[in-house]
Amino acid sequence: MDVVFNQAFAGLSIASILLIIALGLAIIYGTMGVINLAHGEFVMLGAYATWALQTHLGLGVITALPLVFLAVAAAGWVIEKVIVQRLYTRPLDTILATWGIGIILQQAIRLGVGAESKFVRGPQWLSGNVEIGALVMSNYRLFVIAFSLFIVAVTWLLMTRTEFGMKLRAVIQNRGISECYGIEAKKVYSVTFAYGAGLAGIAGALITPLFSTIPTMGTGLVVDAFLVVIVGGLGSLVGTAAAAMLIGEVTALFSIVINDTLGRIAVLAGIIILIRFRPRGLFPSDTRR
Amino acid sequence: MNSRLSYDIIGLAVFAAVILFGVPAFFGYDAFELNTFSRYLSLAIVSMALALSWGTAGLLNLGQAATFGMGSYAMAMHLKLKASGDGLPDFMGWNNVDTLPILWVPFHSFAFTLLAGLLVPAAVGGLIAVFMFRARIAGVFVAVITLAFLVAFQLLVIEQQGFTGGQNGLTGLAPLVLFGWTVDIYSVAFYYLVGACLMVALMFGLYLTHSKFGLILRAIREDPDRTRYFGYNVANYQTVIFCISAGLAGLAGMLYALVLEFASPTYMSVSFSLAIVIWCAVGGRESVLAAAVGAILVNLAEGRLSDVFVEGWHMMLGVMFLLVVMFMPRGIYGVIVDTFRALRRTSACDDAAQSGAPLNSKQES
Repeated sequence: MDVVFNQAFAGLSIASILLIIALGLAIIYGTMGVINLAHGEFVMLGAYATWALQTHLGLGVITALPLVFLAVAAAGWVIEKVIVQRLYTRPLDTILATWGIGIILQQAIRLGVGAESKFVRGPQWLSGNVEIGALVMSNYRLFVIAFSLFIVAVTWLLMTRTEFGMKLRAVIQNRGISECYGIEAKKVYSVTFAYGAGLAGIAGALITPLFSTIPTMGTGLVVDAFLVVIVGGLGSLVGTAAAAMLIGEVTALFSIVINDTLGRIAVLAGIIILIRFRPRGLFPSDTRR
Repeated sequence: MNSRLSYDIIGLAVFAAVILFGVPAFFGYDAFELNTFSRYLSLAIVSMALALSWGTAGLLNLGQAATFGMGSYAMAMHLKLKASGDGLPDFMGWNNVDTLPILWVPFHSFAFTLLAGLLVPAAVGGLIAVFMFRARIAGVFVAVITLAFLVAFQLLVIEQQGFTGGQNGLTGLAPLVLFGWTVDIYSVAFYYLVGACLMVALMFGLYLTHSKFGLILRAIREDPDRTRYFGYNVANYQTVIFCISAGLAGLAGMLYALVLEFASPTYMSVSFSLAIVIWCAVGGRESVLAAAVGAILVNLAEGRLSDVFVEGWHMMLGVMFLLVVMFMPRGIYGVIVDTFRALRRTSACDDAAQSGAPLNSKQES
């Protein structure tokens, strides 16, 4: 039983990181209809930014977070302005273009920093464990879970309580009419894309003490994040959160019953079957597109 | 339609002449160059297969590498059994497999291998297609589901080491014996075998796209709902083209395993699958011929440039691909078609007078 609880806890911390990645992806898709295959590379950029800040400036993972967010968001903003903005009328082509961007970012890191994996130390003050009976929870993973909840809350407030959020929801509902009311949809799109990219950067920073940082680390994560978004239902924050937890936990628990790889295969197969019967996800939003 | 068909036939004839006579003559029938080109030609088949489902019917299959991999493993299993003689394939011993798995037994027969290499991918593709298209899943969802399938399938192949050789794949294969002829992959005859397969696949693809079936597929690409209202069963058409595309990918995989003399899980990787999409997009997804040419050109460029820019090549590929997507959404084919149309427009009055066709009649794009 202890194994199950410990595994469930590990699954929860991975699910939280997945949630942050998927949240960015869901916001970008929900707003602009852009499938961002470069999202995994934004995570990778976040991880490398954290590594660079730690090795060159001596910043810890947590202190680096705001800087990483800003850096990756800036990268996302530039990419949106230069490339993605030209492709809004061709949604399928954004898959291809963003994948091209992904290759370029990956190779840029490989050429600039090197292909060997980098290591980032977790923060000292979060190095211990909390033990409740046989359940051992590392402080860092607890922090990751709490922080992801904080991110979800901030995103929700941003969407529902700010002027920007109101404009964003207006543009999602009907771009043409909101433009008639003086909302600059282009600007809203740019900021949304940058915010989504910044979230991916944060996820990359949080993941560095748990995973090794390599140029190809984003590819696997982005596939998982996509599945979270689709299982959850497009444009639904609740759905994204629920799906991230579901997929993280089911993967973690399956890997006790069978093994890691077969567990992942079972989850992927389960998702494909689920989409067959609920093509619009678990919590479809009623947003008109 | 008919003028397009005649252009395509001329295009195919030119292409066939270049591939079957031009290339061997240019390289002086050099064994290694021809082997390299055999590799490009087999990749051209999987690229044209993707053009059938993506370009014609609008179904972006990001899992094409999975069906390609099935074909390559089918061929490799046959050749591995041949290399092992009466014993078990070597990797099975390392993985404590004592008896030949039932899955492997029929691959002693070459006829079964050929059928399996074509029909297993087609069946699996069909299964996924039925699943997706009955639920009316479309657009980006097709892309993501096929991608998820690819990831799951590659994990499964790597996981089942005792059956598949795991991460190493199937190596140490025997040469193929075809009707008593031992196939030498460095021979001119083998190059012609692969070239012939490509030509047959292209002719089949051209026939399909110019038939009524192809017309309905293009209608589905443009507006599935309206096609449905006309009484066509959209899901069935989509499923059939998905099956055909998967079967052709299996054929390409079989040839590829022959050319490289091994099968590896990297054939089923996400990056390989997206590379197929790149070739198809660069050449032009609307035409099977253009997609095949795209595969050959990109691989040729890769072969030549990666020697010079070992590290930078992938970066250049990414930049090139991005530029193609942004500025040439219909690939090289689109540029050629548009140029031709612009040239014709100058003498359009004469054409219209002769054929009675309206000016600037818009072809489907």
